[in-house]
Amino acid sequence: MVDKRITNNIAVGILWLAAGITVAMLGAIILYVFVNGVRALSPAFIFTWPHGVNAEGGIWPTIISTLYVTGLSMLICTPVAVLAAVYLAEYAHQGRIVSLIRFAADSLASVPSIVMGLFGFALFVETMHLGLSMLSASMALSLLMLPIVMRATEEAIRAVPRYIRWGSYGLGATKWQTVSKVVLPAATPRIITGIVLATGRAVGETAVVFYTMGQAINLPISPLQSGRPMTVHLYLLAVEGINLPAAYGTALLLMIMILGFNLSSRWILKHYRKV
Amino acid sequence: MLCAVLLLGAGGCSGSRSGNSKQVIVTGSTTILPIAEQAREGFESANSGTSVLVSGLGSSAGIEAVAAGTSDIGTSSRDLKEEEEGLGLIDTPIAFDGIAVIVNPDNPVKQLTLDQLRDIFAGKITNWSEVGGADLKIDLVNRDEASGTREAFKKIVMGDDAHFDKYAVVLPGTGQVRDVVARTPSAVGYISVGFVEPRFTATAVKALVIDGVTPSEETVADKTYPIARTLHFFTKGEPSGLTKEFVDYVLSDEVQNGVVVDAGFVPVKEGSE
Amino acid sequence: MTPPDGVKPSTGELQMVSRQTQIKEGLLATLFFLCAFVAVLAVALIFAFVGFKASPIVREYGISKFLLGTEWVSSDEKFGILPLMQGSFIVTLGALVLGTPLAVGTAVFLSEIATPMIRKIVRPAVELLAGIPSVVYGFFGVIVLRPIVGQITGGVGFGPASAAIILAIMIVPTIAALSEDALGSIPMGIREASFAMGATQWQTIYKVVVPAAKIGIVDAIILGMGRAVGETMAVLMLVGGAPVFFHGMGGPMATLTSQIVMDMGYSTGTHRTALFGMAALLFLISMGLVLAVRLMSRLRD
Repeated sequence: MVDKRITNNIAVGILWLAAGITVAMLGAIILYVFVNGVRALSPAFIFTWPHGVNAEGGIWPTIISTLYVTGLSMLICTPVAVLAAVYLAEYAHQGRIVSLIRFAADSLASVPSIVMGLFGFALFVETMHLGLSMLSASMALSLLMLPIVMRATEEAIRAVPRYIRWGSYGLGATKWQTVSKVVLPAATPRIITGIVLATGRAVGETAVVFYTMGQAINLPISPLQSGRPMTVHLYLLAVEGINLPAAYGTALLLMIMILGFNLSSRWILKHYRKV
Repeated sequence: MLCAVLLLGAGGCSGSRSGNSKQVIVTGSTTILPIAEQAREGFESANSGTSVLVSGLGSSAGIEAVAAGTSDIGTSSRDLKEEEEGLGLIDTPIAFDGIAVIVNPDNPVKQLTLDQLRDIFAGKITNWSEVGGADLKIDLVNRDEASGTREAFKKIVMGDDAHFDKYAVVLPGTGQVRDVVARTPSAVGYISVGFVEPRFTATAVKALVIDGVTPSEETVADKTYPIARTLHFFTKGEPSGLTKEFVDYVLSDEVQNGVVVDAGFVPVKEGSE
Repeated sequence: MTPPDGVKPSTGELQMVSRQTQIKEGLLATLFFLCAFVAVLAVALIFAFVGFKASPIVREYGISKFLLGTEWVSSDEKFGILPLMQGSFIVTLGALVLGTPLAVGTAVFLSEIATPMIRKIVRPAVELLAGIPSVVYGFFGVIVLRPIVGQITGGVGFGPASAAIILAIMIVPTIAALSEDALGSIPMGIREASFAMGATQWQTIYKVVVPAAKIGIVDAIILGMGRAVGETMAVLMLVGGAPVFFHGMGGPMATLTSQIVMDMGYSTGTHRTALFGMAALLFLISMGLVLAVRLMSRLRD
């Protein structure tokens, strides 16, 4: 019989290796995009328009389109998601309807983005005649963000200790007063964390916006205008493969933005976690 | 609450397209996209307050869009199909394009006949040694069906009887085809003549001589090179207003000798329709 | 819509608040319920709309010709999606075979072996991997992975091999993070008991901790599978775009998702309804996987 300590050491070594490979892959992808992208990155690249046959120059309108559509979807998604979570955490009693809502939220979270893209195209772009626009894309994206924000908010509300609520009820506050004045403020940092994470996901989404937003390079002003987000720009550059420096630059900027969203959500959580 | 937002959006949008006369919407061929996008820049800066929205969704999408009235100009790198001829579209040729057959620079094969080319892309000739090259399996690189380049290549090279080998790689962009061929000794693909020379990368591809004719601007313009086509702007009826101004601008010497040539296409003389 | 039981303000019976406040509280409760119901509404709408757009492929083209047809040639009006389903299946399976050991290994490492210091670095790194957009993975795959795979399999490197590798990298964080949560929820006492009986760390892991967290780990794998089946951009950029049956890991294929994007731009008529039919199928698959996870967690309780 093999010594159990030898088996143990081999097995633990393999687990180290698995984690090492995972981290190495992350490192390889980030490093590769960084090394190749940093050369393209400059204030001119960020703040000027693309021009010419091969999208030389900058990517300014695509950055604005991405921020515009993400901001708008956040505005659409947040109130619905937060209030839905308030219902699930504070008002609902276990039952058929609640488990239906949870099943729907889980399903929504797992809808493949291409399905959401086609749905958004069929409903918002064609049937509702919103056209390829910021609004169409935002509504499709907000459906994708909804379950993420809902879940984060529900967890945040549940993490607020019971006795805080009892204190509020004891003072004669109604349920809504308790929720709005006591529970939600206490849960806010974690709710914001959830929103920021969901927003980060929306920034990186491609297939949904592909069919709801269009590809026209445009600086969107009204929500009914079309635009080209960074992800679609990157896809088109990667597929056309002619101006690769700009593709690397776009990819790097996209990753920096998402990294920013991730880190800021961690920061919020760390600095404001009082409960 | 979401429903309220949806309804609000639906109500608010109904008048948005009609009131905006300072806008030209150009949709269609990805081949023409570079011309349209660069012309847009020049046109917008020459006519302040106007905007041209350019999308590249494929020639069929462009023709569909202009016929349906959702675009002012539909760009196409192919002629109208029979069923599209009754749509009342006016054709303005804006450039010529030759399709180069490209291989890796290391490939010793220098020329093919149209028949050999057809057999290669139909999957009947599968080894380079059958056409005078090394003993190497041929790797076909095809374009997607939305591509006008594929449609033109199919029409001119494959004809009615031959079909593309369905096991071939299908890539959605010119640049990818070029990149793959540049890096794979066994690959063969096809791209517009204008993209054969490298632009941003150091990678090189070799254009083959077809039926004894080297693809070049001259041989495309004088139509001696067999795989060539005309690029079109389609409008619903005669172009008018800002749409006409944009079409005229694309046909002007500034664009024809500038953008069109830069993009590797061959200019048309004004009014050559 | 009437609110279900339980949305009545709980202070109602005490009569300590005014009638007006009671009404306001009730209305608010109803509003919250409606917001929560948006999720149900959205799923129903997606189902209805995608299904409606897809109905002609079932009625006019025929469901068996669609699902069991062996040829996808849009120019010939042949819309059999069997090759595409096979493509999705092979790419997903390949990604799971490559990704699952790595992901579960990483999760076990994080939960059982890593020091708090290492864990503090690796766990956020894994979560970050989950945040990278799929189009960036696809771009990386096309530029870096494709030539390498092409060298190994022969051909140009587009095909199920490249797609499965990049997909494996993409599902590792999903499976790892969820598996680690499952492992973390196993009480410390179980491990202590195992160690007290003289078991090594590895014996504790594979005889005690992992079996205890089994259902949670399988859940994680199923959700990773859902992500792999539905993944679009990265697969599209690597799988090769040829809607044919499997002919070697290096031979170009297509998946349900990649074919939708390839064809959506120019499809009309029956062709387009076929694409919506494929979207409906993807939606059903993803819902089926969610259902499977729910049933499993019911099994556990």
